[in-house]
Amino acid sequence: MPSSWQRQLAKEISQIENMAPAALAAAASLPLDRERVQVIGITGPPGGGKSTLCNQLLQKLGEKARVAALLVDPSSPYSGGAILGDRIRMQSLVSNPNIYIRSLSNRGNPGGVGSSLVSILRAVMAWDFSHIIIETVGAGQSEVKIASIADTVLVVSVPNLGDDIQAVKSGILEIADIFVINKADLPGADSLYTALRESAQRAVEGWTAPLCQTVAHQGIGIDALIEEIERHRQWLLDSDRLLQKRRNAAKFEVAELSRVLLEKHLEKLPTAALAGYLSHRGGNLLKKLDAAYAEILNSLEEV
Amino acid sequence: MAPIRVLIAKPGLDGHDRGAKVVARALRDAGMEVVYTGLRQSPEQIVQAAIQEDVDIIGLSCLSGAHNSLFPRVVELLREKGAEDIPVFGGGVIPEADIPGLREAGIAAVFTPGASLEEIAAFVREKVRRDNA
Ligand SMILES: Nc1nc2c(ncn2[C@@H]2O[C@H](COP(=O)(O)OP(=O)(O)O)[C@@H](O)[C@H]2O)c(=O)[nH]1
Ligand SMILES: [Mg+2]
Repeated sequence: MPSSWQRQLAKEISQIENMAPAALAAAASLPLDRERVQVIGITGPPGGGKSTLCNQLLQKLGEKARVAALLVDPSSPYSGGAILGDRIRMQSLVSNPNIYIRSLSNRGNPGGVGSSLVSILRAVMAWDFSHIIIETVGAGQSEVKIASIADTVLVVSVPNLGDDIQAVKSGILEIADIFVINKADLPGADSLYTALRESAQRAVEGWTAPLCQTVAHQGIGIDALIEEIERHRQWLLDSDRLLQKRRNAAKFEVAELSRVLLEKHLEKLPTAALAGYLSHRGGNLLKKLDAAYAEILNSLEEV
Repeated sequence: MAPIRVLIAKPGLDGHDRGAKVVARALRDAGMEVVYTGLRQSPEQIVQAAIQEDVDIIGLSCLSGAHNSLFPRVVELLREKGAEDIPVFGGGVIPEADIPGLREAGIAAVFTPGASLEEIAAFVREKVRRDNA
């Protein structure tokens, strides 16, 4: 029996995640500018219902086309291991062969996603999905990296966490393309709606993030949310912004991969090599680094 | 070094996953990435999740008494899907007398409630290391 395409994709993702040079190079030669696929980011507080929403979106979207989800959970700072539990909310989906779900550890990276995420995205895109959903760690602050990666960012808020104000402070609301007020069945949903409309909703470059109310575990409000997701995609296409989004993602990828490669080389560097830097030639080193970066970045245009 | 990826799954109809969660946490504390899929999983769901997650090994926990049919079924489905290279171990309330039959059916190890968490983590690490060698 031959391996399924899902098995092949799953193995590709592992190799990229493990920063295997051959896999990274293979991923880098896959295009990130496929316009047929929409990359949707979901962020918001832990327990807010991100996974439950993701389950509903996958189920609906998966009726018509291939859809994928990448679910990021935090790694343990002590052991480096992780418990990846988002799939618990998606148990019934695996019987649909159109749906591919993959759990990922953030591997210690701040910002809600791991370093290799954009490279992974390239590999996933190659399999002809209509939508790829990324669920971030959802740790509160510093979730903003998802805005550099996804085409459409859903920011989930829930009533009475007392975090309406927290969220405003952390800057997370500013990255919303769509606000999702989940747990709209709970008291306080109306005042959250009003608060978001008054303090967070504003037009940015001609797009005003709409407010969607959902009760994710009952599937309420999902159709309206999918309509807004589609409307945002159409707006991105009509205003030539989709490729701009992907360029941002590519830039994020360059930054992350550069950092990882630098760390790899630094690990191998004997500290004796830094003797000169230690005593007096610091200025020289800075100049060298600056020139090297400038040269690399210039050469990107030629790739 | 790449962390070991483990799927911890609970086939069968019993509603207790405390044991499965304790094992999941122990494996995380041993540096592994543990995908946990929750209660009442069918063998089909478990195998599909294992393939999508590209795990190195599957751990099954069963307290309902149905291990003699459920565990071998997972191994069989893995073979059908061309994923028989993913080893399976099991744990739960399993009578000693059932263990040889399960081993015969391709279950790489069976841990009864007396097994220590260190023992399980050591088994997983050793099994994955040997299979990849
Ligand atoms: N009352 C209520 N509970 C919900 C709703 N959506 C999700 N939940 C529950 O919230 C809990 C956390 O959901 P989960 O999707 O895991 O949140 P995540 O941590 O953001 O991914 C689960 O017990 C869900 O069943 C909702 O709309 N209303
Ligand atoms: Mg979640």
